[in-house]
Amino acid sequence: MDPFHNYDIFGYSIEWYWILLVWTVIALGSHFYQVGFVVRLIRLGKDDNRFNSWKQRLTEFLTDWLLQRKVVQDKLAGYAHALIFWGFLLLVSDVVDLGTGGFLQEILKTVNLDGIWNLIVDIGYAMATVGILFALYRRLIIRPEKLKGSSIEGPLILLAILGIVLTAFIVEAGNMIGEETKYNSWEPIGVLFAKQMEGMDNLGSIVDISYWVHMILIGGFLIEIPQTKHSHLIGTVPNVMFQDHNSMGTMIPMQTDENDIAVKTDDLDFDNLTLGVNKFTDFTWRQLSDGWACTACARCQDVCPAYNSGKTLNPMQIVMDVKDYGREHGSLLLAGKEPEETMVDRFTPDAIWACTTCYACVEACPVHIEHVPKLTDTRRHLVMEASDFPEELQNLFNNLERNSNPWGLGAHTRADWAEGLDLKVGEPAEYLFFVGCAGSFDDRNKKVSRATAKLLKEAGVDFSILGEMETCNGDPARRAGNEFLFQMMAETNVETLNSIGRQMTLKVITACPHCFHTIGKEYEKYGGKYEVYHHSQVLNKLRQEGKLKIRDFEDKVTFHDPCYLGRIGGETEAPRGALGGDLIEMERHGTNSFCCGGGGARVWMEEDADKRVNEIRAKEASKTGADCVAVGCPFCMTMMSDGLKSIGDDKQVKDISEIMLENLEAET
Amino acid sequence: MNIAVLIKMVPDTESRLEIVDGKVKEDGFKYMVNPYDEFAVEQAVQFKEAVGGKVTLISLFSDNTSIDTDLRKMMAIGADEAIVLRQQEYSGNKPSSNAKILSETIKELNADLIMCGVQGIDYYQAATGPMVAHFLEIPHVSGVTNLELNGDKLTASRQIEGGLQIIETPTPVLITCQKDMTKVRFPALKDIMMSKRKPFDNRDVSSESGDDVQTTECSLPPARGGGVILEGEGPEEKVDKLIEKLKMEAKVL
Repeated sequence: MDPFHNYDIFGYSIEWYWILLVWTVIALGSHFYQVGFVVRLIRLGKDDNRFNSWKQRLTEFLTDWLLQRKVVQDKLAGYAHALIFWGFLLLVSDVVDLGTGGFLQEILKTVNLDGIWNLIVDIGYAMATVGILFALYRRLIIRPEKLKGSSIEGPLILLAILGIVLTAFIVEAGNMIGEETKYNSWEPIGVLFAKQMEGMDNLGSIVDISYWVHMILIGGFLIEIPQTKHSHLIGTVPNVMFQDHNSMGTMIPMQTDENDIAVKTDDLDFDNLTLGVNKFTDFTWRQLSDGWACTACARCQDVCPAYNSGKTLNPMQIVMDVKDYGREHGSLLLAGKEPEETMVDRFTPDAIWACTTCYACVEACPVHIEHVPKLTDTRRHLVMEASDFPEELQNLFNNLERNSNPWGLGAHTRADWAEGLDLKVGEPAEYLFFVGCAGSFDDRNKKVSRATAKLLKEAGVDFSILGEMETCNGDPARRAGNEFLFQMMAETNVETLNSIGRQMTLKVITACPHCFHTIGKEYEKYGGKYEVYHHSQVLNKLRQEGKLKIRDFEDKVTFHDPCYLGRIGGETEAPRGALGGDLIEMERHGTNSFCCGGGGARVWMEEDADKRVNEIRAKEASKTGADCVAVGCPFCMTMMSDGLKSIGDDKQVKDISEIMLENLEAET
Repeated sequence: MNIAVLIKMVPDTESRLEIVDGKVKEDGFKYMVNPYDEFAVEQAVQFKEAVGGKVTLISLFSDNTSIDTDLRKMMAIGADEAIVLRQQEYSGNKPSSNAKILSETIKELNADLIMCGVQGIDYYQAATGPMVAHFLEIPHVSGVTNLELNGDKLTASRQIEGGLQIIETPTPVLITCQKDMTKVRFPALKDIMMSKRKPFDNRDVSSESGDDVQTTECSLPPARGGGVILEGEGPEEKVDKLIEKLKMEAKVL
């Protein structure tokens, strides 16, 4: 019994395939028209050549897209999604078969593959059913907090695809029932349906209706896909395939030459250079494509320190904003005209300035959406083109310009922390200790520099510091959008470091993860390639080699992973190894650590007293019951100390090196 | 309106200050634009934006230190050109000599308005501005906190003891600007870069002696002794010790 027969429509007898053809043309026509519109919008973006390293890209595509590597990190939603996804990959060919009245099966029969094909499709439908039921259970019964305000679209689409699956089973079962019922054991679920349906009075109509419901839903879905978050069915393909191959958190220079090296500040072509992003078309194509890959899973929102502390910023909204802006102003944009509304207007300055560039959103995203560059790019516009930014940053920029440190303290006092330690200054040595501004000028963090230097000396490491020759690595300027100032500082530092490291690859130690990241990962584009180590890496190695004899600590200690060391720097083992002892871990640690609130130059900006990121993190640290919070970043030191104080917890905050020094076994 | 703005380069407040043989050691100084002069630039540019004209920056400085970056930032605010007078024996401590040289250059410009900061934050003499006015034989209003342009007249406000003095003056006139006369804009990078193309005229000038006083000796303020933290069991004992010290050592009780 099958639906492939004539239908009586307004008195005309019409073959089923004519009806289907009309519907197919409508659905596919609409689908491709809309997809074409989106593709044309994305192509308005600037170049970003990611068409390289194909082998790596293919591997990533297979693991991240096909195997759903990051999707399944959220267990329930992840596996529900994976089941639906894998199910539909297995069953998708069935639509060809149903659309051609079983022609595909006929062909497969000639090579004896019809049985196995039927089984695969049946398994696909079954997997999808289980996945859909789990997803519905999550959306309608569990209802996680973040789904409470979401639109009805989610459950409706789930019900629709459940409809697609169920009607397929009915049609499949109908196929088995005829004058002589033949159960096809290659289709076990179909057989189950057939057994229930057998003997029903109006079986023919049921099969017919199911078939057409099936086809209408599929067509409807094709029309709907480009308009809603289901665009991710298509959008994730380029998004995952062309993911960022730069090290996480690495920002791109204003202008690069043919070797992908930054053009020197003196040679920048300001006549033709757009600084940062304010127009839709200022974004690269890959920044524009993100919105159509977004599924609104809100994992970025869950982990965002700005969002969770009640600020205007929601990383998911930023991604949606780009897409919505493109959709709303699409015809104008494609006509080469400029809408009155700008990207900054759409994001809002409050949201743009709230980001700590902690990259938790990027890490959490299963489909490699790049939220942070959208914000840092608009910051560049606000600072360098519009000169419209929080007032506090003007002090920061002035201080960095005049005294090459954010506090604006006399550059000549940079090495005062080292008084009495008898360190080499600017002399050749195996390691260079790049102290950083906080370690040089901030009283609390000067103690960390001293502890680090003492440990290095204790272990007999040959190192020198730069003294007055050192300047800020430029991170606060760069994350705050003053790319030009950053580049000037990078050029100065690269010149100094290269002049010292002329004879060898310079090995740099720093106790600041921002120096670690910027000098280690970002200076390459400015002509400086160095081996850069976080002090915990060097100290851990010295400890493991027995060059530093340190007792395991006895206090109750928890460790707060700095974003630019753990998640962004990829180093979560060394600090733990260096500390030794049994840590009491916070729930969010390692690469899932939660920002202290100080990154992205936020430490230099005002923060509303009732929306403090550091208090959230301080509470998490407090909950562990530890006596001491270990940190590995001078800004975490400040933010965590302040956060604990304001929640009324008198826990101590200490750097890794300080805890090590306290537990140093005296020479016998 | 043709406006000349005087820019003084002063040592950065965070520079290392050392006295050698009773003289300030100047070779380690980093220099910056005198902050009071920035108000003058901003106000001048605002006038230019309102009624048109030209803003010329004039700076007198030593001949061996580059100040291009600093002046370019001032030009990015909106000044049109800069004249830098390079002098071998320049000192910021000679207002009369300096005013004489500056006024000779200003004369060439036919300025309707000459503006500068109320004082340099190096020697705090507040003298160069009024002395320039003297050499130019024009009036001056010093320490202006608010300046308005009405036709060809200027209305200046000055904070004086217990009140506000409002002065109306015709042009040409010299105005020295007090802190917070206006909010100085932070120039956008693009404007700083584009200001590279504005005329930037370096001129050598000879030293000139004026009627300046001689500095006989400089000295740093005496180093303050460190504070004392009172140790003791509990606040009561500490307070007792404090009272004791206030009586016996400070003799204020």
